[in-house]
Amino acid sequence: MTKRHRGGPLQGVRVVELTKVWAGPYTGKLLAFLGAEVIRVESEKSLDVTRVYGVSDINNAPGFKAVNPEKLSVQIDMKSDEGIRLLLDLVQKSDVLIENLRPGAVQRLGLDYKTIKAVKPDIVYTSMGMYGNEGPLSYQTGYAPCFAALGGISALVGYEGEPPAGMNVRYADSTFGAAAALATVAALYHRNETGRGQYVDVSAVEAMSSMIGDALMSFTLNGEIATSTGNRHPEMAPHGVYPCLDNEWICIAVRDDRAWNTLAQQLTAAPSTGAEVNLSRFTTLPQRKANEDALDHCLASWTQSQRADELVEKLQQLGIAATKSLNSIELISDVHLWAREFYREVHGPDGQSQTIVGPGWKMSRGATIENAAPNLGQHNDYIFGEVLGLTEAERRALDGSGVIR
Amino acid sequence: MAALSGVKILELAESVSGEYCGKLLADFGAEVIKIETPGVGSPTRRMGPFKVQPASAPGSKTSDARNVDVESSGLFAYLNTGKQSIELDLLQNKSILSRLLSQVDAVIDDHSLEWLSALGLHATQQQHMHSGLVVCSISNFGLEPPQDRLHAEDLNVFHSSGWGFHTPTGGDPALPPLNGAGRFLPSYEAGLEAALCISAALLAQRQTGEGQFIEISKQEVLASRVDYVLAQMVGGDMNVSQCRSAFDLSGPAGIFPCEDGFVYIWLSAPAHWQGLRQLLGDPAWMHEFPENWLEKACTPERVATCRRHLVQWLKTQGKQQAAEQAQKLGVTLVAVNNAADLVNSPQYQFREFFVGLEHPVLGNLKYPTVPYRMSETPAKPLSPAPLLGQRQTLEWQQPQTQPAQVKHND
Repeated sequence: MTKRHRGGPLQGVRVVELTKVWAGPYTGKLLAFLGAEVIRVESEKSLDVTRVYGVSDINNAPGFKAVNPEKLSVQIDMKSDEGIRLLLDLVQKSDVLIENLRPGAVQRLGLDYKTIKAVKPDIVYTSMGMYGNEGPLSYQTGYAPCFAALGGISALVGYEGEPPAGMNVRYADSTFGAAAALATVAALYHRNETGRGQYVDVSAVEAMSSMIGDALMSFTLNGEIATSTGNRHPEMAPHGVYPCLDNEWICIAVRDDRAWNTLAQQLTAAPSTGAEVNLSRFTTLPQRKANEDALDHCLASWTQSQRADELVEKLQQLGIAATKSLNSIELISDVHLWAREFYREVHGPDGQSQTIVGPGWKMSRGATIENAAPNLGQHNDYIFGEVLGLTEAERRALDGSGVIR
Repeated sequence: MAALSGVKILELAESVSGEYCGKLLADFGAEVIKIETPGVGSPTRRMGPFKVQPASAPGSKTSDARNVDVESSGLFAYLNTGKQSIELDLLQNKSILSRLLSQVDAVIDDHSLEWLSALGLHATQQQHMHSGLVVCSISNFGLEPPQDRLHAEDLNVFHSSGWGFHTPTGGDPALPPLNGAGRFLPSYEAGLEAALCISAALLAQRQTGEGQFIEISKQEVLASRVDYVLAQMVGGDMNVSQCRSAFDLSGPAGIFPCEDGFVYIWLSAPAHWQGLRQLLGDPAWMHEFPENWLEKACTPERVATCRRHLVQWLKTQGKQQAAEQAQKLGVTLVAVNNAADLVNSPQYQFREFFVGLEHPVLGNLKYPTVPYRMSETPAKPLSPAPLLGQRQTLEWQQPQTQPAQVKHND
């Protein structure tokens, strides 16, 4: 029986997390947001870098707090035999184990699937690696932007005719984590039906490739190797990001000729473009694609003298897909995201309020999300006492030898 | 055996996000029946890539809407493997819909609130009339978007999530911020999130008999994917600004040209610098840098000098060979791969990331699959996308084919 009844579809599922940095913790966060009891196993001897990077207080590390709300923390030193025994006891009372340690680390620790399966035959064991756990390149390691480069994402992002620029450096870990969460939950469904657990081996690089599946199909279908094309789209034009006043940018995507005709009326009516621009060469999509440089130039010269929010409002009223490109100030003050409680208040270990980023879903029977990330070892009493059933004397002995610090 | 064997899903979705969600669940062995507009089919059937010189084949239909063979889209083929297709005008056949709903476990939709309401499937209706059913809606900004976000494509969603304004890293403020990779990244992310939520809800449904109404907002899915940064910003722990580099990390990491393409190099720790010294053969210019400069003395001048020398060295290096050497020395250098590199990757071949399927019109093609290998229940497409209206019967008890039950008895 898990501790708190937060509801949600994964109520009653217990997850042990042996994870570092972002991708593995993100998987755990998604499962926690779905109602699972997610336990991060930590130790003073090998703290996650996000607990210590650039901060003096390991219980107040912004990066850690960002990705670990609604989790429990227990301290077990996995570099001691006694610690490993404790961990195996914990896994024996759990449903899922997630790990994203370096290649070979779980084998060295004695926590590989075979060992875990021996003590908990129906465990769902989710292993996350840059290239997955097996194969000729599985020894290689890297960080998020490496996943994006290897998986084919980076090559598709850049200005037309120029070298690839890649997505923002932060992209990849969370997508990888979401893919791992999906496979984990599917494995849980199977276990619920059949009583059988399994080993789930997730590749970060393949998670990236799965975000561009149609571009890969383009190659297997016709041998076309896609490259970066700025903001252009093969089936829409205009489709771009255009300058406005005050260094702001507007995104405009014209889906069909009808939307184009509406937009063209606006362009014609505008004093800055109406007289000198011949819009007749943009009538059909093939024409607009053939003259796209001129089309984009025409739009940019029209948008640059306007305020982005006013132009968005006007074009939306006309049924045209137009939105601002939101900077970080606008993003955290986005009224819509606050109204939908995407940003939400949770409470920290000492009762203090904290704003976190919620999940990408709303559910009619969702789990409550009200607790911030845990302090180191905040749930030692619960895990050692209620879950593992250790006596006070046993705990004192383990504490004395440093196993549970 | 497949993970979601026995699960029945009705797919009303007609765009990339919902179809991708259905595909992911079909890969797990769920029986996914797709409802398509009679004679026309899903709009994704009329989106590229198309097979060049499409072969005519029995059973292939030409759509009235845009004179495109409805069976020649590589996009549709990719998004709909393992599904079955029924032609049905839902709004005209609500009694049939009602019969279908009583037989399925979950519904995937990506239309508007008005559409869902017309079918009797919005949140309140689900709770009262179909309380045991899992219904998932995917939309750009949620089912009730604000007036200034009624119309949006994936480009708009990407730029409403923070990713757009901050792409690429180190972007030139004079140039437009960029779209994400490919045409549909926001849709794939949302489809992935939807599949996760549906799978979890199906598990709960098996245990409690209760359904769930799930609403996926693409904007929120994408914004939640940058939680590490965004939560720090909204929590007051990281600066926000109008600056295009607000999400960035400093340092010389980045994409560099090489002899046959591009590589990505990550440098952030003294160990990386020591490995690089070995890789480059201890060149003189590196002696002028402090050993710990990446962590403690990362000035713009040093970054520029380092980058210049890396560019010089890479001129004579092939991307895969350089990566192999570098990785052995602990240097985080990787190839910037394209589609051909991925199809030819020994790692992808080992893990069988691409699988071949025979489609009656498109022929035998390699399909990219999913990033997880599961020991008990391999997740793979087992049959190609259906021809429009390929399935004739509405009865679930005796389906024509059972893709979920094939093979996998290992």
